[in-house]
Formats: sequence, structure tokens, C-alpha cells
Amino acid sequence: MSGEGRPTILLVALREIRTRLRSRAFMLGTGAMVALIAAGMVAWTLLAAPSSSSGTAVAHVGFTGAATTLEPVFTSAATTGGTQVTVRDVTDVASGTAQVTAGQLDVLVTGAPTAPTAIVVGSLPSDIESALDVAVLEARMGAVGMASATVTDVVNGTNVTVQSVTPAAPVDPQRDAELASAVAVAILLYVTIGAYGGFVAQGVVEEKSTRIVEILLATVRPSQLLEGKVIGVGLVGLLQLTIVGAATLSLAALIHVAAIPAVSLPAVLGDLFWFLLGFLFYATAFAAVAATVSRQEEVTSAIAPVTVLLLGSYLLMFVAVMPDPTSTTSTVLSLLPPFAPILMSVRIATGDALAWQVALALVLMVLSIAGLMWLAGRIYANSVLRVGKRVRLMDAFRGQ
Amino acid sequence: MAAEQALEIMGVSKRYGHVVAVDDLSLTVPAGQLCGFVGRNGAGKTTTMRIVLGVLTADAGEVRVGGTPMTFATRRRIGYMPEERGLYPKMRVGEQLAYLAELHGRAPAAARTAAAAWLERFGLADRVKDDLQSLSLGNQQRVQLAAALVFAPDLLVLDEPFAGLDPVAVDVMSGVLREQADAGQPVIFSSHELELVERLCDRVAIIDQGRLVAQGTVAELRAGAPERRWVEVPDAAPDWGEGIAGATLLTRDGSRLLFEIEPEGDDQALLRAALATGPVAEFHRVEPSLGEIFRTVLEGAAA
Repeated sequence: MSGEGRPTILLVALREIRTRLRSRAFMLGTGAMVALIAAGMVAWTLLAAPSSSSGTAVAHVGFTGAATTLEPVFTSAATTGGTQVTVRDVTDVASGTAQVTAGQLDVLVTGAPTAPTAIVVGSLPSDIESALDVAVLEARMGAVGMASATVTDVVNGTNVTVQSVTPAAPVDPQRDAELASAVAVAILLYVTIGAYGGFVAQGVVEEKSTRIVEILLATVRPSQLLEGKVIGVGLVGLLQLTIVGAATLSLAALIHVAAIPAVSLPAVLGDLFWFLLGFLFYATAFAAVAATVSRQEEVTSAIAPVTVLLLGSYLLMFVAVMPDPTSTTSTVLSLLPPFAPILMSVRIATGDALAWQVALALVLMVLSIAGLMWLAGRIYANSVLRVGKRVRLMDAFRGQ
Repeated sequence: MAAEQALEIMGVSKRYGHVVAVDDLSLTVPAGQLCGFVGRNGAGKTTTMRIVLGVLTADAGEVRVGGTPMTFATRRRIGYMPEERGLYPKMRVGEQLAYLAELHGRAPAAARTAAAAWLERFGLADRVKDDLQSLSLGNQQRVQLAAALVFAPDLLVLDEPFAGLDPVAVDVMSGVLREQADAGQPVIFSSHELELVERLCDRVAIIDQGRLVAQGTVAELRAGAPERRWVEVPDAAPDWGEGIAGATLLTRDGSRLLFEIEPEGDDQALLRAALATGPVAEFHRVEPSLGEIFRTVLEGAAA
């Protein structure tokens, strides 16, 4: 008789999926997440555009006084070096400086040709500096009677073969994009783990407060009910994040966002996996503590101790991990199970997580989920039929 | 099918801390019989039923079906209606019943068919796609009963199935319970409506302070109760009726008097005493109602 029916856990999970997918909250939530990410990416592209083209911009260099004699050699040295420059004479130092501060000039060169001063906002770009050096060198050599042609020949012949290497992290222009996308991933994980974990908690209390749990438990084991619920709600969360991830990847391809590591298929798949682990951890814990109360109004306070851990991961991301993802504190925190889903995925997105750290975090996470499921199953089974006053966790664990 | 299997509750006890909820209770509901389970509030009816369902674990004793101890598999074949009604308020009625049928092991198609059939039977066919919470309380009760029946159970355990029902729904419920018992299932239900229990049930079990104080058919329970007679004696003196040997006067309604025949007494002695006053317009035997039996039994149990 029982052989012809579908497995109980599947039935429970399917009911959760059907209920959640039918709810307006699912459609609205998914739409809102996609819209926010799209807005973020468009804004980023617009803001990033001027800075990304600054490398090929023309540098405006003004010369004043005796330094104007440096102009021809400077121009040819800069052009030879691949730097586009415009050169103009400026009447005096004061007006030239004003133009530099106003952004009309990038550099003002003043003083003696053999020892000029460059006035600039911030630091002198290295390509401008080396072109100036050539001009100054020629001026000095001319001053001691050497032929200028010789100098130019000598200097131009010394072009060093340049080999490009990955720049150190702080000066990487990609870095900002990586950090921003890491924060976006963390926020998304924080919101979805919290929301779907919360759905599990509400579902547990709904069954308790409507008393249907008594009908269900006459035919279903508590563990089957708990597992089916967690699996069903989790799959809906996974579906929502998959839609959001796919939309993000499509948008990125559409508007040609610069290659950000976090916006790639492997990274998105990794984030989905971390969602699953984080969800399993938090949803199981939520279900256990929610089972100790009987009314929806009590859910928030019952799950507060667990919510604090989730909120903690989120805050630690800003306080500890984002300022220095490679520090010992960041590394250790990102290995610990309650924090790993958010902190480790952030460190993966910033490119700072080492393979062994990811592997260790995964192992600890899976072990703690297994332990938590055992503990939660016990607490849930012992409290879910006890309606009325809140069940103490220790009593629920002991089965008193 | 597990037809023709009796439900046996054997020496079941349950205590909550220092409170004994059920005390060494034994009760048999034969296959095909409708058993009414009566007792005051807090007597232990709900606890007993929850133990049968396995929703509670007994401290001692066991529950058997067809002579073998209850297992998780046999429990799934019990149709159950808990005292506190419970279904998903925001789930569609049809889907909800089909879901419960599937949880009890029915195949998806059979579950949908059975859900539709029971809703049709209860006149709710047009509400299949409505959320439960949009139904009236009476209709929600009907759905609750359908939930207990939708998987064709082998045994029915219903806690206060008649509570809160309108008279029409009471008739529907009575009809369904009778029909299920006639189909060979043991059916046990608790109720405070003793007239209904008397009319409907094959057997009655009376429980008090966790102990079974009486069980049997209504006729068997009546056999232990003192007999009563209404006597109408129009010409008797106003004070007639006091001090008749073997009969105690209970009430007086003009010239109609109600007597209880004492256990060692004789109704013929009462008749002779009545005839001595003149004509006897009425002399008839009154069977004690279940309510009266119930009170007598509880007084006896307390003494």
C-alpha cells in the first residue's frame, strides 16, 4: 500500500516549492535583486569610463620663462616614448600655477632649463618626467658644450625593452571592481540566507500554530518533515539566486562590463554553492529554535541568537575582511562555519582566498552542518508538539 | 486491506510530571463498531487518542491493531482528527487533501481523485481551488473530516468531531461515521454530546481521571443502572409516594411521579401501591439516558 506513493521527504519539499513559487514575494524579490544589480553595473560602467580612458589622454604641459627652451626636445622625447603631449608657453608662474590647479594644464615647467621645477597636482606622471629628464639632460650637455644631436641619439638609443608584470594590489585599477563585486555577492548571500532561513522558521511555527503538525506527525516522522521543509525552501532560494546570477552574467555580457572575476560563470556557481551551505547551516538552526515557540509573534525573538551570527558575518565583512582580506584575522574568521559562507565567498571574490583555505572552510562547514542537523532534529522532534509556553532549548535537547 | 481488525488499547499509562493523565487504561474497539469515548474535560481522552496515533509516547502499555503492536506503517493507516483542528490556512483545499492523501501513501492520481470525491460528498466541489481560510468555519470542519478520510484509512480516531458543527453537519458527520464503521473499520470518537453518542454508537467507553470506569453497549451499561418508572395516579393524596418500600420518589409533576426502583426492590410492589390509591392512568418504564448513566457511573467511581 505504501509502496505506490511518492517518498515523504519529496512530498514535503514539493509542497514548500509550490507554495513559495506561487507567492508574489518570490517574483517581486527576484525582480528587485536583478534590478539592483543591473543598476549597480550600469552605474559602475558609467563611473569607470573616464578613468579607464585616462591612460591615452593628452597631457597638457605649460612652460614659462627660460624653461620654454626645453619644449622642442621635450615634445620629441615624449612622442618617441609614446606619450601624447601638447605644449604651450605660459606668461608667468602665477598664471601657470592657476591653470594647473584649475585643471587646464597638467604640468607647468618653470625655472632654469638645466634645473627646472615641475608644478603639478598630485604626482608627476612618470612618462612626462622621463621626457623632461631627456630635455634637461640635453640642456645641461649643451651648457657644457656637447652637441645636442649626440645627446638625442644617445638617449633615444637607450630604449629599454619593457616587460609588463602584474602590478601590486593597491595600484590595480581592477581592484575597486573586485571589492565592489565582492560586497555585492556578500549582501546577496546575507539577504537570501536570512530570508530563506526565515521562511523555514516561519513555516515551522505556522505548522505549530495551526496545529496541522499533529496531523502531519501522525504519518510523517519529525526528521522527514524538517528535512523536506529545509530542502524545499532551499531549492527555491537556489532557483532565485540562479535566476539572479544568470541575469547578472547576461547583463555583464550585454553592456560589456570590464572582466571582473566575480562576474564569471565559475564564480557565480561558487556563490550558489556557498549559498547552499550557508542556507543549510542557518535554516537548520532557525528551524530548531523556531520549534520551541508556538506563535508567529515569537519567531523573531526565538531566532535572534542565530540571526546575530548571520548579522555578525555581514558586519565582520566590513569591519575585518574588506579592509584587509589577507590578514590573519580575515583568514581565520573566513574559516569558521557560522561566518564562512559570507566571509569566504567575499575573499574568493577579491581573489585573496587560497585553495587550502577554501577546502578547509568547506570541510568545517559540512561537518558543522551534519552536527547541527542532528542537534536540530532532536530539538525539533522534542518541541514541535509542545504548544503554549516557550520550550527551553536544554529541555528540548534532553527531551523533557 | 486490513479490514476486520480490532483496535486494542492495553494497559496504557501516561503521566506529566506528577499529574497522571492516563492510568492503566485498557479498551477494545471491535472491527466494524462505532465507539463513543466520553468523560469530563481533562479525563484523559485526548491523551489516550494521541497515544494511539503515536503523537505521544506512553509511559507504559501498548496499542495493538489486529493483534499486533502498532508500528509506524500501521499508524499511517489511521484517519485522525485532532482536538485542535489544523490544516494549512493558505493552501488550496483540493491540493491540501491530495497532499495529505499522498503523505499517507496514496499515489498522486488516486490522491487527487479521492480529494475531489470527498469534497463532492461534502458539497464543496466548487471550492477545490480556494484557500482553506476563505471557507466558513463549518466548511473548514468538513474539510478537516475529509482530511481524516481521504486516504481510505483502516481505522478512525476522532477527537471531538462534532464540536462546533451545525445540525446539518452533525447529520453528515454521523452518516459518514456510521458508514465507515459498517465498512468494517473500528471507529472511536470522543464527545460531550451524550445524546448523540447514545443514538449513534455501538459501544461507549467512560473515562474518569485517566481510568476507564465503564465500557460496553448502551444496553450493557444500562443494565447496571437502577430502573425508573413514571406513575400517574390522579386520585392519590397529594403526599402519596413517600415511604413506599423498594421505591424512591425522585420528582413530582402534578399527579405524575417518577420513582427509582431500588436494587432489591420490585416494580410490582410499586404498581400495587399505586392501584391502592384508585385508577392508574400511566405506569411506564423509563430507560436512563446515557447522561444519567454517565453521572451515576462517575458518582460511583468517586465514591
